[in-house]
Amino acid sequence: MLSQDFIFDGCTILVHGFSRVVFEVLKTAAQSKKLFRVFCTEGRPDRSGLRLSNELAKLDVPVKLLIDSAVAYTMDEVDMVFVGADGVVESGGIINMMGTFQIALVAHSMNKPVYVAAESYKFARLYPLDQKDMVPALCPIDFGVPIPSKVEVETSARDYTPPQYLTLLFTDLGVLTPSVVSDELIQLYL
Amino acid sequence: MDARRATTTVPRVRQVGFFTPNAPPAQPSRTHSFPLDSSSPPLSNSPVNNSLSPVMIPPSRHLSDNLVHRATSPLPVPEPSAFRRPIRSHHVAVVGSYNPTESLLGSSPPLASPSSRVIGDGEFSEESSAGWFRRSNSAKFASSFSGAFDLTSVMSSEAGGFHQVKKPVIAQPKEEKSGAAAVVEPQINKGLSSSSTKPLKEKTTKAERRALQEAQRAAKAAAKDMTVSVGVSTSKPVKQQPAQKKDAPPPASSVAVSDRKGVERSMEKERRKDIPAPRMQFDDKSRVEKAKKRAVVNQSEARNRVELFRHLPQYEHGTQLPDLESKFFQLDPMHPAVYKVGLQYLAGDISGGNARCIAMLQAFQEVIKDYSTPPEKSLTRDLTAKISSFVSFFTECRPLSMSMGNTIRFLKSRIAKLPLTFSESEAKASLCADIDRFINEKIVLADNVIIRHAVTKIMDGDVLLTYGSSCVVEMILLYAHELGKQFRVVIVDSRPKLKGQALLRRLVGKGLSCTYTHINAVSYIMHEVTRVFLGSSSVLSNGTVYSRVGTACVAMVAHAFHVPVLICCEAYKFHERVLLDSICSNELGDPDALSKVPGRMDINYLDDLTNKDNMQLLNLMYDATPSEYVSMIITDYGMIPPTSVPVIVREYGREYLWI
Repeated sequence: MLSQDFIFDGCTILVHGFSRVVFEVLKTAAQSKKLFRVFCTEGRPDRSGLRLSNELAKLDVPVKLLIDSAVAYTMDEVDMVFVGADGVVESGGIINMMGTFQIALVAHSMNKPVYVAAESYKFARLYPLDQKDMVPALCPIDFGVPIPSKVEVETSARDYTPPQYLTLLFTDLGVLTPSVVSDELIQLYL
Repeated sequence: MDARRATTTVPRVRQVGFFTPNAPPAQPSRTHSFPLDSSSPPLSNSPVNNSLSPVMIPPSRHLSDNLVHRATSPLPVPEPSAFRRPIRSHHVAVVGSYNPTESLLGSSPPLASPSSRVIGDGEFSEESSAGWFRRSNSAKFASSFSGAFDLTSVMSSEAGGFHQVKKPVIAQPKEEKSGAAAVVEPQINKGLSSSSTKPLKEKTTKAERRALQEAQRAAKAAAKDMTVSVGVSTSKPVKQQPAQKKDAPPPASSVAVSDRKGVERSMEKERRKDIPAPRMQFDDKSRVEKAKKRAVVNQSEARNRVELFRHLPQYEHGTQLPDLESKFFQLDPMHPAVYKVGLQYLAGDISGGNARCIAMLQAFQEVIKDYSTPPEKSLTRDLTAKISSFVSFFTECRPLSMSMGNTIRFLKSRIAKLPLTFSESEAKASLCADIDRFINEKIVLADNVIIRHAVTKIMDGDVLLTYGSSCVVEMILLYAHELGKQFRVVIVDSRPKLKGQALLRRLVGKGLSCTYTHINAVSYIMHEVTRVFLGSSSVLSNGTVYSRVGTACVAMVAHAFHVPVLICCEAYKFHERVLLDSICSNELGDPDALSKVPGRMDINYLDDLTNKDNMQLLNLMYDATPSEYVSMIITDYGMIPPTSVPVIVREYGREYLWI
């Protein structure tokens, strides 16, 4: 609901993978007859992007699928980036599907806003300092062809996006800036 | 801050020469605790009113620039020195000789006023009514304050001749009193000027000092927001200036007033530069103030001062130690425990925020245990007055750190909140218990929590860098080592203190693998570092970290190399102040330490240069690290981003004050 104000007619939104919250946001916007189009990344290895694009197509929202590597290529045409979050950490950063950090980095360097839609129950008292500072969450990656045994595969499924690359968080507590997350956490937990 | 805000809202009326104050009774808010007036108290008390620790130097005061006043000793502190003040130059009149002053100035009994002043400056608004009543007394006595306050004395000197120019918060009676005081002063001046030319006096001649006085006075006139107590100002000159100065200022002031403050500043600075003698005002003031305690007017070598840092108390402590030591048994009003701790500060035996705080609190515990309420006095007020006097002593030994300021504020609020039904022994026991609990909860337990949090951030294979010697960081490293984590440590050190060497010794003794380097190699070594752990003296509201000089440099290099910087700081060190740079508030160390290398007599290149005018040695003790270089602050409330410091201050600042 809060995010509806941020979606204006004729805008282009980039989304990454499938997030329920983001989908609801886009659904509401489509139902209120806003005109916008969506770029959706494939979201390997989950291929969740395909699912999202299916759903959006049913809503008659113009969707374009991208491979993950094409994000920087299309960033010019994009007006804003919308992602969900698996967790919001104390620094104001988010933990989300692998690839979010990359997209945020590109968006930041091109001055595109990055919006995160997350409920407040996802706030966690973690504070990762870098990518490796978290409990690993692995998921197998299927490359389609057998991989030689000597080759290692990076199978982590999550990454951490530091707060300086995020613009705003839409939560049930309101529209927050990343630094306020800690404030809320302190009030919630202490 | 209240004063500052107040001053800007009330229109300033520039009046030259003598006039009857027609301005409305100024900022009632400002005067609530120190009706004494206009001047110094509000400004100096404003920090107090804001419930800033009385020993915090509000940077705002520096607007007045020119003064070589001690940033760290705001007005509230001087009461005890008020006694000694009148003694002035006479180091002989050190102990308990309040009488000469009183007889000279015929002021109200010393006991009443100082305590009233102290009360006034306390954050106790309930005293306000009493304060109003005592106003007249204080005013009278104020005139006898020969610049009891280091800073006000300087300010007052300028203000001296033309208090009218100042923000008129002065009531009519005050005016007359000042006038009377002014008349009295010249005589006193003459009477005492002879005494003020002590054998050990500064090299500066009276004429030079006078000239400097005029210069500062002129600048003072223009400095409107310098609200110095009229009484104080008039009394200030008593110290050294001959009465003639009084006449000079008024004409000078009229000229000065027309200038803008900025111009004033430069003009005044030029004049000051012309005058050879460096530490005039400040010198004398502190001399006299210390006269009571230190007895001897120790002639520290005249040292060139750096322009930019004139607002900070200059370092004079080097030669005080032996004198202080010899005075140990002669200072009645001083408690031996307090004296001991003060000496330890002076000598540098105790350093580091936590150690200093704990030592101070334990000294205060002794004071409280030995304290007995004088007859017809209220325990809270008298004890607060005593504590304030001891705080001023500490400040002279070594300027207080911000954490100490918070601690003192806590103690004073505990004293103020003692239920009146308590008997004296109950009150004392309660206070001692409070102090114990503070030390335990805010320092000891807090450190444990910090260590627990911090070790979760240390992984096997890490290379941790630390700067200088912070007690918390040392504990973290030792604990992580005990847990069996495999890491190595890089210790970055810097001259002149070379504190890192002691840390290195202790860590190596415990079996950690360490690398030691100096700060000039920090960018060389940073590429192999994975985490940086730093301690701090205080963290401010905008996330700025105020810590040992050199920390900002290390943090900046770490940031450039994308190495996370973790600041370990107990929550009691947080402060609601905001610092934008390292200049407004700092501490100056011993400049000679820069030119000397211990153990190497042949490195003496700077020996002959220190007396030249164009050569100034600057030894800063603290610096401010901007919040963007800090990744995380580890406190006893958990790991928080630097932007959340004001949240902690807001939510929990009240907690320990109102337990």
